[in-house]
Amino acid sequence: MSPRKPGLLAPLFALLLAAGAGALVYAQEARSEAERLALLQAAEGPQRLITPIKQGGWSFPRRFEAKGGAILSPQDTHVAALIFSTEATPPRLFDLDGDGAPDQALAARPAEGGGFLVGAAPLTPPPSLPWGLLCVALLFSLGMWAWLAFAYPGRWAGPLGAGFGALNLGLIFSFAASRALDVLPGARLSGALPLAAALIPLVLYGALGAYTRSLRSPHRAAFAYIAPAMIGMSVLILVPFAFGFGLAFFRFNGQTSEFVGLSHFAHILASSGYAITHPLSFYYTLFVTVMWTALNVALHVSIGLGIALILREPTLRFKGVYRVLLIVPWAVPNYITALIWRGMFNAEYGLINHGLSALGLEKIQWFSAPLTAFAANLITNTWLGFPFMMVVALGALQSIPRDLYEAADVDGADGWQKFKLITLPLLRPALLPAIILGSVWTFNMFNIIYLVSQGRPNNSTDILIVEAYRVAFEQERYGYAAAYSVLIFLLLLLYSRITERVSKAAEEAYG
Amino acid sequence: MKIPTRGPLPRHLGRHLFLISFTALTLFPVMWVIKMALRPSQTFVTSLNPLPDTFSLQNFKDVINAPYFWTQLGNSALISGVTTIVGVFLACTAAYAFSRFRFPGRRAGLAAFLVTQMFPGVMMMIPLYQVLDWLGLLDHWLGLVLVYSTTSIPFCVWMLKGYFDTIPHELEESALMDGASQIVIFWRIILPLSRPAIAVTALFSFMTAWNEFILAATFMSDERAFTLPVRLQHYVGNYTTEWGHFAAGALLVSVPVMGLFFALQKHLVGGLTAGSVKG
Repeated sequence: MSPRKPGLLAPLFALLLAAGAGALVYAQEARSEAERLALLQAAEGPQRLITPIKQGGWSFPRRFEAKGGAILSPQDTHVAALIFSTEATPPRLFDLDGDGAPDQALAARPAEGGGFLVGAAPLTPPPSLPWGLLCVALLFSLGMWAWLAFAYPGRWAGPLGAGFGALNLGLIFSFAASRALDVLPGARLSGALPLAAALIPLVLYGALGAYTRSLRSPHRAAFAYIAPAMIGMSVLILVPFAFGFGLAFFRFNGQTSEFVGLSHFAHILASSGYAITHPLSFYYTLFVTVMWTALNVALHVSIGLGIALILREPTLRFKGVYRVLLIVPWAVPNYITALIWRGMFNAEYGLINHGLSALGLEKIQWFSAPLTAFAANLITNTWLGFPFMMVVALGALQSIPRDLYEAADVDGADGWQKFKLITLPLLRPALLPAIILGSVWTFNMFNIIYLVSQGRPNNSTDILIVEAYRVAFEQERYGYAAAYSVLIFLLLLLYSRITERVSKAAEEAYG
Repeated sequence: MKIPTRGPLPRHLGRHLFLISFTALTLFPVMWVIKMALRPSQTFVTSLNPLPDTFSLQNFKDVINAPYFWTQLGNSALISGVTTIVGVFLACTAAYAFSRFRFPGRRAGLAAFLVTQMFPGVMMMIPLYQVLDWLGLLDHWLGLVLVYSTTSIPFCVWMLKGYFDTIPHELEESALMDGASQIVIFWRIILPLSRPAIAVTALFSFMTAWNEFILAATFMSDERAFTLPVRLQHYVGNYTTEWGHFAAGALLVSVPVMGLFFALQKHLVGGLTAGSVKG
């Protein structure tokens, strides 16, 4: 489907594209910076005080309020800076003079008593060349590099590919570094950032070296197929993860950071100064999380498997209809599910209490006792979770040969024996990965807890991930929250190490 | 739990009764959202009867006529569509390598994919925000595409790898004999044979992107860049909830995914597990 010789045209084109986009971005940045400075000197427009407003819920980054004028679009890349530094430029789109049209905030300085004083001029439409274009160009170019280096063996492929790759990575990191210095409080993280900026290319350079050496190895094709996924994952998962991991060792409230070593971990593991049975203690939350995960997975698997076994009967009619209808909860976005069930569990107008009183039972204040609130979360999550296990079990059941059961019938086995001795062992290899994944997902199931019980009463139904979120976004102790998430990660890693042994054994037995 | 055997009709009757009541129980909340959407009011429905009593389309009209609805629908469609294409392509190539090649780091790589599922997603928000900011992709659909396709890859890779494992190697060996290259084998043999699994993978990628809400709400602040779920959240306030609008919007958001589920449900059962059971 493609030429057999390394075509130079495609990589050259990619290089041109990348270079062009880079030049355009640089030119545009330089121009807009010059314009900004010029306007700043001439700024005599209205000035307004803007202050951060606190909001519960999903507000991240923090929203800002302009006294006397409405903020039309509170976000700009620079809002991110505000999370980290109070001295950064505030968002650009304000209606400062109140004429209904957005103005551009040009200059800001911290005002006494919090907030910023902003000077503004009417907004000139921002130049529309997006960084996205550059990103696409670079990714495309990287892709070409991988393609060239791996798809075509030959004398030129290795060095050329390595050259393009190095060039691209250099471009990406110089852009990233320039943006980082713009946005991060470089001075505050003194030294750490330049160090990281120097380390990342070094590490990548090393990896590249190892990579090019492996070009000669017989595994080249394998790496070529994996490379695209790996590149994406390393930028969008590895980098954020490294960032979060590093943050765990800093005290960081969004403005100032201070290296604190392991003290966050020590504090968390020392139960944060609470009794172990206190809802804010790590061990209490861990207990809730483990119960949450175990009960959910047990319910998902047993209901899913049960329904699958019932649906399996070959002469049963309307199987397809049942299957389709039972999949519905899976297709509903889970935050919608959560909000609907929260409404259903409402003590006053909730449907469930109406049902209870229709049956002559007493109404339950679902969210005022830990146990009932936990049950409400559990019911919601079971509703949305069993269809996945049902489908997995249905698929796995299909692959069990029928004659095994016929043979068992001949031997006079009863239903339970057949289930225990044929169905379960043969289901295991299919169910095990699903169970591992399912438990990891449930362990980190944020939406349901955060939206259904909302931790009521007194955070006693929070699981670890929700607790970490609250520490980060409600108390703004980002470093502490990062330490929390590192602990979550380590716990799950431990869990998977244990289950991996089981699955390895299974793979050896059945693979 | 009983192992089913071919039984007389009354036994099936019991099965049907159980399945019907279980399905009814499962569908109850959904029915009831439909009822709420069809009522011209914003209050919560409190009657136990799940069947709609009025058929007013006012809520749907309101949702559709809200500012930027079509733009946001377009955003959702674009983001989900591109995510599906990118995610499936990346997952297919990676899964193929994991399934067909034995190379150093294979086991570690597979484990790494699983491990990424363990990072507390919510806590990735701050750093991800930074990364997208560096790339200049905040408030840009491409940023969400990148995030969604990378987050859906690990699961898709595991699923596809399992499916590829079931495709007999003999097919490829004979193709190799005939002089086909590795790439031709991948495109012409493996991919067409794995259509069910790829369909399911595509469904998951699409669903990840279409339903996701927290990250979209975090990275998008311009109303014109919102996806539908973010829009939907605005009907649920801290103190009051416009239940009618929310229900109508929830249905509008859920319908495409449900449609896909129904269309692909035959593949779903096979595609999801065929691989893991090589028994």
